[in-house]
Amino acid sequence: MKRACVGFAWLLAAWGSPVYAAEPQSFTANSLAAIQAKYAGRPFILSMWSVNWCGHCITELTMLGKAAKTHKQLPLVLVATDTPEFSAAIQQTQKRLGLAKVDSWVFDDDIPERLRHAVDPAWHGELPRTYLYDAKHRREPVMGVLSEQKLKAWLKQNQ
Amino acid sequence: MKKTIRQILWAALLVAPCLVYAQHHEKSPEQAAAQSRPKAAKPAIAVGVAYDAHGRLWLARVENQHLLVSYSDNSGAHFSAPVRVTVAPEAIAADGENRPKIALGVDGSVMLSWTQALPQNYSGNIRFARSIDGGKSFSEPITLNDDGRITSHRFDTLVTDGKGRVTVAWLDARDRDAAKATGGAYAGISVYTAQSQDNGAHFSANRRLTEHTCECCRVSAVWSDEGPVVFWRNLYGTHTRDFAYARLDDGVVHRASDDDWQIDACPHHGGDIAADGRGALHLVWFTNGKTRQGLFYKRIAGTKESVPMAFGTAAAQAGHPGIAAAGDRVILTWREFNGHVYEAYAQRSDDRGATWSPPVRLAEAAGIADYPLPLFSGTRAWVVWNAAAEGLRVLPVEFGSGK
Repeated sequence: MKRACVGFAWLLAAWGSPVYAAEPQSFTANSLAAIQAKYAGRPFILSMWSVNWCGHCITELTMLGKAAKTHKQLPLVLVATDTPEFSAAIQQTQKRLGLAKVDSWVFDDDIPERLRHAVDPAWHGELPRTYLYDAKHRREPVMGVLSEQKLKAWLKQNQ
Repeated sequence: MKKTIRQILWAALLVAPCLVYAQHHEKSPEQAAAQSRPKAAKPAIAVGVAYDAHGRLWLARVENQHLLVSYSDNSGAHFSAPVRVTVAPEAIAADGENRPKIALGVDGSVMLSWTQALPQNYSGNIRFARSIDGGKSFSEPITLNDDGRITSHRFDTLVTDGKGRVTVAWLDARDRDAAKATGGAYAGISVYTAQSQDNGAHFSANRRLTEHTCECCRVSAVWSDEGPVVFWRNLYGTHTRDFAYARLDDGVVHRASDDDWQIDACPHHGGDIAADGRGALHLVWFTNGKTRQGLFYKRIAGTKESVPMAFGTAAAQAGHPGIAAAGDRVILTWREFNGHVYEAYAQRSDDRGATWSPPVRLAEAAGIADYPLPLFSGTRAWVVWNAAAEGLRVLPVEFGSGK
Protein backbone atom coordinates (compact mmCIF):
# COMPACT_ATOMS: atom_id res chain seq x y z
CA MET A 1 0.00 0.00 0.00
CA LYS A 2 2.74 2.40 1.02
CA ARG A 3 4.70 1.85 -2.15
CA ALA A 4 1.53 2.16 -4.23
CA CYS A 5 0.76 5.41 -2.49
CA VAL A 6 4.20 6.79 -3.16
CA GLY A 7 3.65 5.83 -6.79
CA PHE A 8 0.32 7.61 -6.89
CA ALA A 9 1.77 10.60 -5.13
CA TRP A 10 4.46 10.76 -7.79
CA LEU A 11 1.77 10.50 -10.45
CA LEU A 12 -0.15 13.32 -8.81
CA ALA A 13 2.95 15.45 -8.68
CA ALA A 14 3.67 14.68 -12.32
CA TRP A 15 0.18 15.80 -13.31
CA GLY A 16 0.84 19.30 -12.19
CA SER A 17 0.42 21.51 -9.17
CA PRO A 18 -1.61 19.97 -6.39
CA VAL A 19 -5.04 21.39 -5.63
CA TYR A 20 -4.59 21.42 -1.89
CA ALA A 21 -2.73 24.19 -0.12
CA ALA A 22 0.83 23.11 0.52
CA GLU A 23 2.03 23.19 4.10
CA PRO A 24 3.81 26.49 4.71
CA GLN A 25 7.60 26.27 4.60
CA SER A 26 9.69 27.20 7.61
CA PHE A 27 10.75 30.83 7.40
CA THR A 28 14.13 31.28 9.05
CA ALA A 29 16.76 34.02 9.04
CA ASN A 30 17.99 32.86 5.61
CA SER A 31 14.63 32.42 3.95
CA LEU A 32 14.29 35.88 2.45
CA ALA A 33 17.56 35.30 0.56
CA ALA A 34 16.14 32.02 -0.74
CA ILE A 35 12.94 33.74 -1.84
CA GLN A 36 14.88 36.52 -3.56
CA ALA A 37 17.02 33.92 -5.33
CA LYS A 38 13.92 32.12 -6.53
CA TYR A 39 12.58 35.38 -7.98
CA ALA A 40 15.95 36.57 -9.31
CA GLY A 41 15.36 39.10 -12.08
CA ARG A 42 11.61 38.99 -11.48
CA PRO A 43 9.25 41.23 -9.52
CA PHE A 44 7.32 39.79 -6.60
CA ILE A 45 5.15 40.71 -3.65
CA LEU A 46 6.18 39.74 -0.13
CA SER A 47 3.22 39.93 2.22
CA MET A 48 3.56 39.42 5.97
CA TRP A 49 0.43 38.42 7.91
CA SER A 50 -0.83 36.49 10.92
CA VAL A 51 -3.61 33.95 11.08
CA ASN A 52 -3.66 34.20 14.86
CA TRP A 53 -4.38 37.85 15.58
CA CYS A 54 -4.48 40.12 12.53
CA GLY A 55 -7.95 40.93 11.20
CA HIS A 56 -6.60 43.58 8.84
CA CYS A 57 -4.48 40.88 7.23
CA ILE A 58 -7.63 39.04 6.18
CA THR A 59 -8.77 42.23 4.42
CA GLU A 60 -5.51 42.30 2.49
CA LEU A 61 -5.47 38.57 1.75
CA THR A 62 -9.08 38.69 0.54
CA MET A 63 -8.08 41.37 -1.96
CA LEU A 64 -5.00 39.38 -2.99
CA GLY A 65 -7.12 36.25 -3.40
CA LYS A 66 -9.37 38.09 -5.85
CA ALA A 67 -6.31 39.39 -7.69
CA ALA A 68 -4.91 35.86 -7.89
CA LYS A 69 -8.06 34.79 -9.73
CA THR A 70 -7.48 37.23 -12.57
CA HIS A 71 -3.69 36.99 -12.48
CA LYS A 72 -3.00 33.28 -12.49
CA GLN A 73 0.73 33.86 -12.13
CA LEU A 74 0.53 36.49 -9.40
CA PRO A 75 4.08 36.44 -7.97
CA LEU A 76 2.97 36.44 -4.37
CA VAL A 77 4.88 35.18 -1.34
CA LEU A 78 2.93 34.99 1.92
CA VAL A 79 4.78 34.85 5.22
CA ALA A 80 2.74 34.22 8.35
CA THR A 81 4.46 35.52 11.49
CA ASP A 82 2.80 32.85 13.61
CA THR A 83 4.53 29.58 14.51
CA PRO A 84 4.55 26.23 12.67
CA GLU A 85 1.84 25.05 15.09
CA PHE A 86 -0.52 27.28 13.11
CA SER A 87 0.28 25.57 9.78
CA ALA A 88 -3.13 23.93 9.44
CA ALA A 89 -4.96 27.20 10.16
CA ILE A 90 -2.70 29.00 7.69
CA GLN A 91 -3.45 26.43 4.98
CA GLN A 92 -7.18 26.57 5.64
CA THR A 93 -7.28 30.36 5.53
CA GLN A 94 -5.24 30.56 2.34
CA LYS A 95 -7.47 27.96 0.72
CA ARG A 96 -10.62 29.79 1.77
CA LEU A 97 -9.32 33.04 0.28
CA GLY A 98 -8.21 31.50 -3.02
CA LEU A 99 -4.53 31.60 -2.14
CA ALA A 100 -3.89 27.87 -1.87
CA LYS A 101 -1.28 27.87 -4.60
CA VAL A 102 0.89 30.83 -3.71
CA ASP A 103 4.26 30.50 -1.98
CA SER A 104 3.52 30.11 1.70
CA TRP A 105 5.89 30.42 4.66
CA VAL A 106 5.55 30.55 8.42
CA PHE A 107 7.95 32.06 10.98
CA ASP A 108 9.97 29.31 12.61
CA ASP A 109 12.19 30.83 15.28
CA ASP A 110 11.84 31.13 19.04
CA ILE A 111 12.77 34.78 18.65
CA PRO A 112 10.54 36.41 16.01
CA GLU A 113 12.57 39.62 16.39
CA ARG A 114 15.45 37.81 14.68
CA LEU A 115 13.29 37.11 11.62
CA ARG A 116 11.77 40.59 11.61
CA HIS A 117 15.27 42.03 11.66
CA ALA A 118 16.27 39.79 8.76
CA VAL A 119 13.33 41.11 6.74
CA ASP A 120 13.52 44.76 7.77
CA PRO A 121 15.13 46.29 10.88
CA ALA A 122 12.58 49.12 10.75
CA TRP A 123 9.66 46.73 11.16
CA HIS A 124 8.27 46.38 14.70
CA GLY A 125 5.90 43.56 13.96
CA GLU A 126 2.75 45.45 13.02
CA LEU A 127 0.67 43.65 10.39
CA PRO A 128 -0.10 43.50 7.55
CA ARG A 129 3.19 44.65 6.10
CA THR A 130 3.93 44.19 2.42
CA TYR A 131 7.02 44.69 0.29
CA LEU A 132 6.62 45.36 -3.42
CA TYR A 133 9.77 44.16 -5.21
CA ASP A 134 10.55 45.25 -8.75
CA ALA A 135 12.60 43.13 -11.16
CA LYS A 136 15.82 44.59 -9.76
CA HIS A 137 14.55 43.82 -6.27
CA ARG A 138 14.33 47.40 -5.21
CA ARG A 139 11.48 47.19 -2.75
CA GLU A 140 8.79 49.49 -1.45
CA PRO A 141 7.42 48.74 2.02
CA VAL A 142 3.68 49.16 2.50
CA MET A 143 2.56 49.61 6.10
CA GLY A 144 -1.01 48.54 6.73
CA VAL A 145 -3.42 47.05 4.24
CA LEU A 146 -2.21 47.03 0.61
CA SER A 147 -4.90 48.80 -1.42
CA GLU A 148 -6.27 47.36 -4.64
CA GLN A 149 -5.26 50.53 -6.48
CA LYS A 150 -1.70 50.20 -5.27
CA LEU A 151 -1.59 46.57 -6.34
CA LYS A 152 -3.02 47.39 -9.78
CA ALA A 153 -0.49 50.16 -10.29
CA TRP A 154 2.30 47.80 -9.29
CA LEU A 155 1.03 45.06 -11.62
CA LYS A 156 0.85 47.55 -14.48
CA GLN A 157 4.44 48.65 -13.90
CA ASN A 158 5.88 45.23 -13.32
CA GLN A 159 4.16 42.89 -15.72
CA MET B 1 -15.98 12.35 -22.94
CA LYS B 2 -18.09 10.58 -20.32
CA LYS B 3 -15.60 7.75 -20.32
CA THR B 4 -12.77 10.15 -19.62
CA ILE B 5 -14.64 11.66 -16.70
CA ARG B 6 -15.33 8.17 -15.34
CA GLN B 7 -11.67 7.31 -15.64
CA ILE B 8 -10.69 10.45 -13.77
CA LEU B 9 -13.22 9.65 -11.06
CA TRP B 10 -11.87 6.13 -10.73
CA ALA B 11 -8.35 7.44 -10.53
CA ALA B 12 -9.43 9.93 -7.88
CA LEU B 13 -11.05 7.15 -5.84
CA LEU B 14 -7.91 5.08 -6.00
CA VAL B 15 -5.70 8.00 -5.11
CA ALA B 16 -7.88 9.43 -2.36
CA PRO B 17 -6.60 7.22 0.47
CA CYS B 18 -3.07 8.13 -0.55
CA LEU B 19 -3.60 11.87 -0.51
CA VAL B 20 -3.24 12.06 3.22
CA TYR B 21 -0.13 9.96 2.98
CA ALA B 22 1.26 12.12 0.20
CA GLN B 23 0.58 15.36 2.03
CA HIS B 24 2.33 14.16 5.11
CA HIS B 25 5.31 12.59 3.47
CA GLU B 26 6.16 14.44 0.27
CA LYS B 27 8.05 17.32 1.76
CA SER B 28 11.10 19.34 0.97
CA PRO B 29 14.16 18.46 3.07
CA GLU B 30 13.73 21.78 4.86
CA GLN B 31 10.18 20.89 5.85
CA ALA B 32 11.21 17.38 6.79
CA ALA B 33 13.84 18.84 9.10
CA ALA B 34 11.27 21.11 10.68
CA GLN B 35 8.92 18.19 11.13
CA SER B 36 11.49 15.92 12.69
CA ARG B 37 11.56 18.05 15.83
CA PRO B 38 9.25 16.89 18.57
CA LYS B 39 5.76 18.27 17.95
CA ALA B 40 5.03 18.76 21.64
CA ALA B 41 3.25 22.02 22.27
CA LYS B 42 5.61 24.85 23.14
CA PRO B 43 5.36 25.82 26.79
CA ALA B 44 2.93 28.66 27.36
CA ILE B 45 5.45 31.37 28.04
CA ALA B 46 3.26 34.23 29.24
CA VAL B 47 2.51 34.15 32.97
CA GLY B 48 0.50 36.26 35.40
CA VAL B 49 2.04 37.40 38.67
CA ALA B 50 1.00 39.45 41.71
CA TYR B 51 2.18 39.99 45.27
CA ASP B 52 -0.31 39.81 48.08
CA ALA B 53 -0.20 42.07 51.14
CA HIS B 54 1.96 39.56 53.04
CA GLY B 55 4.73 39.45 50.44
CA ARG B 56 3.64 36.15 48.92
CA LEU B 57 4.25 36.03 45.18
CA TRP B 58 1.39 34.43 43.27
CA LEU B 59 1.89 32.88 39.86
CA ALA B 60 -0.67 31.90 37.22
CA ARG B 61 0.61 29.87 34.30
CA VAL B 62 -0.73 27.61 31.57
CA GLU B 63 0.34 24.04 31.06
CA ASN B 64 -1.30 21.47 28.79
CA GLN B 65 -4.39 23.63 28.35
CA HIS B 66 -4.92 24.06 32.07
CA LEU B 67 -4.51 27.14 34.23
CA LEU B 68 -2.35 26.50 37.29
CA VAL B 69 -1.79 28.64 40.36
CA SER B 70 1.13 28.43 42.76
CA TYR B 71 2.89 30.79 45.16
CA SER B 72 6.31 31.55 46.55
CA ASP B 73 7.22 32.90 49.98
CA ASN B 74 10.89 33.40 49.10
CA SER B 75 10.80 35.61 46.02
CA GLY B 76 10.58 32.82 43.52
CA ALA B 77 13.26 30.48 44.89
CA HIS B 78 10.61 27.85 45.49
CA PHE B 79 6.99 27.64 44.44
CA SER B 80 4.19 25.66 46.03
CA ALA B 81 2.70 22.66 44.27
CA PRO B 82 0.41 24.10 41.58
CA VAL B 83 -3.35 23.93 41.99
CA ARG B 84 -5.48 23.54 38.88
CA VAL B 85 -8.06 26.24 38.22
CA THR B 86 -9.63 24.97 35.01
CA VAL B 87 -11.99 22.01 35.18
CA ALA B 88 -11.85 21.04 31.50
CA PRO B 89 -8.91 21.75 29.19
CA GLU B 90 -9.17 25.12 27.44
CA ALA B 91 -7.15 26.86 24.74
CA ILE B 92 -5.91 29.57 27.09
CA ALA B 93 -4.21 32.49 25.38
CA ALA B 94 -0.77 32.80 26.97
CA ASP B 95 1.75 34.28 24.58
CA GLY B 96 2.62 37.69 23.23
CA GLU B 97 -0.07 40.17 24.20
CA ASN B 98 -2.04 37.51 26.08
CA ARG B 99 -1.47 36.15 29.57
CA PRO B 100 -3.56 34.88 32.47
CA LYS B 101 -4.17 37.59 35.10
CA ILE B 102 -4.09 37.06 38.85
CA ALA B 103 -5.19 39.47 41.60
CA LEU B 104 -5.51 39.19 45.37
CA GLY B 105 -8.04 40.41 47.90
CA VAL B 106 -7.01 41.35 51.44
CA ASP B 107 -9.42 38.69 52.70
CA GLY B 108 -7.21 36.08 51.00
CA SER B 109 -9.31 35.60 47.89
CA VAL B 110 -7.35 34.74 44.75
CA MET B 111 -8.94 35.88 41.49
CA LEU B 112 -8.06 35.00 37.93
CA SER B 113 -9.14 36.07 34.49
CA TRP B 114 -8.01 34.78 31.13
CA THR B 115 -8.97 34.59 27.48
CA GLN B 116 -10.16 31.27 26.15
CA ALA B 117 -9.38 31.10 22.44
CA LEU B 118 -12.20 29.58 20.40
CA PRO B 119 -11.67 27.57 17.20
CA GLN B 120 -13.04 30.39 15.03
CA ASN B 121 -10.34 32.86 14.01
CA TYR B 122 -9.93 35.81 16.36
CA SER B 123 -12.73 34.71 18.68
CA GLY B 124 -12.62 34.07 22.40
CA ASN B 125 -14.33 34.17 25.78
CA ILE B 126 -13.35 36.12 28.89
CA ARG B 127 -13.13 33.65 31.75
CA PHE B 128 -13.02 34.14 35.50
CA ALA B 129 -12.50 31.94 38.55
CA ARG B 130 -11.59 32.55 42.18
CA SER B 131 -10.49 30.90 45.37
CA ILE B 132 -11.79 31.83 48.81
CA ASP B 133 -9.62 29.35 50.68
CA GLY B 134 -6.21 30.84 49.97
CA GLY B 135 -5.70 29.09 46.66
CA LYS B 136 -6.40 25.53 47.85
CA SER B 137 -9.40 25.19 45.53
CA PHE B 138 -11.08 27.29 42.86
CA SER B 139 -14.62 27.99 41.76
CA GLU B 140 -15.73 26.57 38.44
CA PRO B 141 -14.69 29.05 35.73
CA ILE B 142 -17.41 31.31 34.36
CA THR B 143 -17.61 33.24 31.10
CA LEU B 144 -17.98 36.96 31.71
CA ASN B 145 -18.97 38.14 28.23
CA ASP B 146 -22.76 37.95 28.26
CA ASP B 147 -23.70 38.67 24.64
CA GLY B 148 -23.88 35.06 23.52
CA ARG B 149 -21.94 35.80 20.33
CA ILE B 150 -18.99 33.79 19.09
CA THR B 151 -16.71 36.69 18.32
CA SER B 152 -13.64 38.46 19.61
CA HIS B 153 -13.81 38.82 23.38
CA ARG B 154 -10.12 38.92 24.13
CA PHE B 155 -7.23 40.83 25.74
CA ASP B 156 -8.70 40.82 29.24
CA THR B 157 -7.27 42.73 32.18
CA LEU B 158 -8.13 42.28 35.87
CA VAL B 159 -7.80 44.73 38.76
CA THR B 160 -9.12 44.92 42.30
CA ASP B 161 -9.03 47.38 45.16
CA GLY B 162 -8.37 44.35 47.35
CA LYS B 163 -11.44 45.15 49.44
CA GLY B 164 -14.16 43.61 47.32
CA ARG B 165 -14.35 45.66 44.17
CA VAL B 166 -13.13 43.81 41.09
CA THR B 167 -13.03 45.02 37.50
CA VAL B 168 -12.39 43.01 34.35
CA ALA B 169 -12.04 44.93 31.07
CA TRP B 170 -11.50 43.50 27.59
CA LEU B 171 -11.72 44.14 23.85
CA ASP B 172 -15.08 43.10 22.48
CA ALA B 173 -16.32 42.86 18.88
CA ARG B 174 -20.08 42.66 19.57
CA ASP B 175 -20.79 46.22 18.39
CA ARG B 176 -18.76 45.72 15.24
CA ASP B 177 -20.58 42.46 14.50
CA ALA B 178 -23.97 44.06 15.09
CA ALA B 179 -23.11 46.94 12.76
CA LYS B 180 -21.77 44.63 10.09
CA ALA B 181 -24.84 42.40 10.32
CA THR B 182 -26.92 45.32 9.13
CA GLY B 183 -24.43 46.12 6.39
CA GLY B 184 -22.80 49.04 8.15
CA ALA B 185 -19.12 49.85 8.27
CA TYR B 186 -17.47 49.88 11.69
CA ALA B 187 -14.01 50.98 12.67
CA GLY B 188 -12.24 48.91 15.29
CA ILE B 189 -13.96 47.15 18.18
CA SER B 190 -15.07 48.13 21.71
CA VAL B 191 -13.93 47.96 25.33
CA TYR B 192 -16.38 46.24 27.68
CA THR B 193 -16.19 45.74 31.42
CA ALA B 194 -17.73 43.57 34.12
CA GLN B 195 -17.55 44.65 37.76
CA SER B 196 -17.99 42.89 41.06
CA GLN B 197 -18.56 44.30 44.54
CA ASP B 198 -17.91 41.05 46.40
CA ASN B 199 -14.49 39.74 45.35
CA GLY B 200 -15.85 38.13 42.22
CA ALA B 201 -18.73 36.15 43.72
CA HIS B 202 -21.10 38.04 41.43
CA PHE B 203 -20.54 40.29 38.44
CA SER B 204 -22.67 43.08 37.04
CA ALA B 205 -23.98 42.87 33.47
CA ASN B 206 -21.36 43.80 30.88
CA ARG B 207 -21.01 47.51 30.30
CA ARG B 208 -19.56 49.19 27.27
CA LEU B 209 -16.80 51.63 28.13
CA THR B 210 -16.10 52.87 24.64
CA GLU B 211 -16.37 52.03 20.95
CA HIS B 212 -13.83 52.18 18.11
CA THR B 213 -10.63 50.90 19.63
CA CYS B 214 -7.67 49.09 18.12
CA GLU B 215 -8.39 45.37 17.79
CA CYS B 216 -5.49 43.39 19.18
CA CYS B 217 -3.31 45.34 21.60
CA ARG B 218 -3.44 44.27 25.23
CA VAL B 219 -5.66 46.34 27.52
CA SER B 220 -4.11 47.44 30.82
CA ALA B 221 -5.69 48.66 34.03
CA VAL B 222 -4.77 49.83 37.51
CA TRP B 223 -6.69 50.52 40.69
CA SER B 224 -6.01 54.17 41.58
CA ASP B 225 -7.31 56.23 44.48
CA GLU B 226 -10.08 57.23 42.07
CA GLY B 227 -11.08 53.65 41.31
CA PRO B 228 -10.25 51.50 38.28
CA VAL B 229 -8.48 53.17 35.35
CA VAL B 230 -8.28 51.41 31.98
CA PHE B 231 -5.64 52.13 29.32
CA TRP B 232 -5.91 50.94 25.71
CA ARG B 233 -4.90 51.70 22.13
CA ASN B 234 -7.78 53.71 20.74
CA LEU B 235 -8.87 54.70 17.25
CA TYR B 236 -9.03 58.39 16.44
CA GLY B 237 -10.75 58.94 13.12
CA THR B 238 -10.57 55.73 11.13
CA HIS B 239 -6.96 54.67 11.47
CA THR B 240 -5.06 56.78 13.98
CA ARG B 241 -4.02 54.32 16.65
CA ASP B 242 -3.02 56.37 19.71
CA PHE B 243 -3.75 55.58 23.35
CA ALA B 244 -6.64 56.54 25.61
CA TYR B 245 -7.49 56.04 29.27
CA ALA B 246 -10.67 56.30 31.33
CA ARG B 247 -11.56 56.18 35.00
CA LEU B 248 -14.43 53.73 35.03
CA ASP B 249 -16.25 55.55 37.83
CA ASP B 250 -16.89 58.55 35.57
CA GLY B 251 -16.46 56.82 32.21
CA VAL B 252 -14.88 59.85 30.55
CA VAL B 253 -12.42 58.86 27.82
CA HIS B 254 -9.20 60.92 27.74
CA ARG B 255 -6.62 60.94 25.01
CA ALA B 256 -3.38 59.63 26.51
CA SER B 257 -0.96 59.90 23.59
CA ASP B 258 -0.80 62.13 20.55
CA ASP B 259 1.65 60.33 18.27
CA ASP B 260 -0.41 60.40 15.07
CA TRP B 261 0.15 56.75 14.24
CA GLN B 262 -2.08 56.37 11.20
CA ILE B 263 -2.09 52.78 10.04
CA ASP B 264 -4.74 50.27 9.01
CA ALA B 265 -2.86 47.48 10.67
CA CYS B 266 -2.57 45.62 13.95
CA PRO B 267 0.39 46.84 15.99
CA HIS B 268 -0.20 43.98 18.48
CA HIS B 269 1.78 46.08 20.90
CA GLY B 270 -0.08 47.57 23.84
CA GLY B 271 0.96 49.69 26.81
CA ASP B 272 0.80 49.61 30.58
CA ILE B 273 -0.46 51.85 33.38
CA ALA B 274 0.40 52.31 37.07
CA ALA B 275 -0.80 54.63 39.85
CA ASP B 276 1.54 55.99 42.53
CA GLY B 277 0.89 56.75 46.18
CA ARG B 278 -0.43 60.23 45.44
CA GLY B 279 -2.83 59.25 42.70
CA ALA B 280 -0.77 60.19 39.65
CA LEU B 281 -1.02 57.89 36.65
CA HIS B 282 2.10 56.56 34.93
CA LEU B 283 1.84 55.36 31.35
CA VAL B 284 4.19 53.49 29.02
CA TRP B 285 3.45 52.62 25.39
CA PHE B 286 4.83 51.88 21.94
CA THR B 287 4.15 53.95 18.86
CA ASN B 288 5.44 54.31 15.34
CA GLY B 289 3.58 57.53 14.61
CA LYS B 290 4.48 60.64 12.71
CA THR B 291 5.13 62.62 15.88
CA ARG B 292 7.23 60.07 17.73
CA GLN B 293 8.48 56.52 17.31
CA GLY B 294 9.46 53.94 19.89
CA LEU B 295 8.74 53.44 23.60
CA PHE B 296 7.51 56.37 25.70
CA TYR B 297 6.64 57.21 29.28
CA LYS B 298 4.47 59.97 30.66
CA ARG B 299 2.94 60.96 33.99
CA ILE B 300 -0.53 62.39 34.41
CA ALA B 301 -1.12 64.16 37.75
CA GLY B 302 -4.39 66.02 37.89
CA THR B 303 -4.40 68.30 34.86
CA LYS B 304 -0.61 68.18 34.50
CA GLU B 305 0.90 65.85 31.95
CA SER B 306 4.65 65.35 31.52
CA VAL B 307 6.31 65.51 28.11
CA PRO B 308 6.63 61.95 26.74
CA MET B 309 10.06 60.51 27.60
CA ALA B 310 11.64 58.07 25.15
CA PHE B 311 13.27 54.91 26.48
CA GLY B 312 14.77 51.71 25.06
CA THR B 313 16.95 51.20 22.00
CA ALA B 314 14.88 51.31 18.84
CA ALA B 315 17.57 49.50 16.81
CA ALA B 316 17.25 46.57 19.22
CA GLN B 317 13.48 46.47 18.68
CA ALA B 318 12.80 47.68 22.22
CA GLY B 319 9.21 46.81 22.99
CA HIS B 320 6.50 45.50 25.29
CA PRO B 321 6.84 47.99 28.12
CA GLY B 322 5.57 47.50 31.66
CA ILE B 323 5.25 49.87 34.60
CA ALA B 324 4.61 49.58 38.34
CA ALA B 325 4.51 52.13 41.16
CA ALA B 326 4.42 52.17 44.96
CA GLY B 327 4.57 55.32 47.04
CA ASP B 328 7.09 57.61 45.31
CA ARG B 329 8.82 54.75 43.52
CA VAL B 330 8.20 53.80 39.91
CA ILE B 331 9.89 51.20 37.72
CA LEU B 332 9.42 50.70 34.02
CA THR B 333 10.56 47.66 32.04
CA TRP B 334 10.93 46.56 28.46
CA ARG B 335 12.50 43.89 26.27
CA GLU B 336 15.14 44.15 23.56
CA PHE B 337 16.75 41.77 21.08
CA ASN B 338 20.47 42.42 20.62
CA GLY B 339 20.88 40.24 17.54
CA HIS B 340 21.59 37.12 19.58
CA VAL B 341 19.47 37.05 22.72
CA TYR B 342 16.60 38.84 24.38
CA GLU B 343 17.45 41.29 27.15
CA ALA B 344 15.22 42.62 29.92
CA TYR B 345 15.76 46.22 30.98
CA ALA B 346 14.43 48.48 33.71
CA GLN B 347 14.64 52.11 34.72
CA ARG B 348 13.70 53.32 38.18
CA SER B 349 12.51 56.59 39.61
CA ASP B 350 12.25 57.47 43.30
CA ASP B 351 10.53 60.80 42.71
CA ARG B 352 7.29 59.69 41.06
CA GLY B 353 8.69 59.73 37.56
CA ALA B 354 10.28 63.21 37.59
CA THR B 355 13.80 61.80 37.12
CA TRP B 356 14.96 58.34 36.06
CA SER B 357 17.98 56.09 36.53
CA PRO B 358 19.92 55.01 33.44
CA PRO B 359 18.72 51.73 31.93
CA VAL B 360 19.61 48.67 34.00
CA ARG B 361 20.15 45.46 32.07
CA LEU B 362 18.53 42.81 34.26
CA ALA B 363 19.04 39.54 32.41
CA GLU B 364 19.12 37.85 29.04
CA ALA B 365 17.22 34.94 27.54
CA ALA B 366 18.50 32.73 24.75
CA GLY B 367 15.15 31.55 23.42
CA ILE B 368 11.45 32.12 23.84
CA ALA B 369 10.84 34.75 26.50
CA ASP B 370 7.87 36.50 28.02
CA TYR B 371 7.62 40.24 28.49
CA PRO B 372 9.40 41.39 31.67
CA LEU B 373 6.75 42.10 34.32
CA PRO B 374 7.43 44.82 36.93
CA LEU B 375 5.79 44.71 40.32
CA PHE B 376 6.20 45.90 43.90
CA SER B 377 5.97 44.12 47.21
CA GLY B 378 5.72 46.93 49.71
CA THR B 379 8.49 49.30 48.64
CA ARG B 380 10.65 46.57 47.09
CA ALA B 381 10.68 46.43 43.32
CA TRP B 382 10.88 43.22 41.31
CA VAL B 383 10.80 42.15 37.72
CA VAL B 384 9.44 38.72 36.92
CA TRP B 385 10.74 37.33 33.65
CA ASN B 386 9.78 33.92 32.33
CA ALA B 387 11.88 32.30 29.62
CA ALA B 388 11.85 28.83 28.10
CA ALA B 389 15.54 28.06 28.66
CA GLU B 390 16.21 30.00 31.85
CA GLY B 391 12.89 29.42 33.61
CA LEU B 392 10.99 31.90 35.73
CA ARG B 393 13.29 34.51 37.25
CA VAL B 394 12.33 36.99 39.95
CA LEU B 395 14.86 39.80 39.64
CA PRO B 396 15.29 42.56 42.23
CA VAL B 397 15.53 46.19 41.15
CA GLU B 398 17.58 47.91 43.83
CA PHE B 399 16.71 51.46 44.78
CA GLY B 400 19.54 51.75 47.28
CA SER B 401 19.19 53.43 50.65
CA GLY B 402 20.05 56.99 49.58
CA LYS B 403 16.52 58.27 49.52
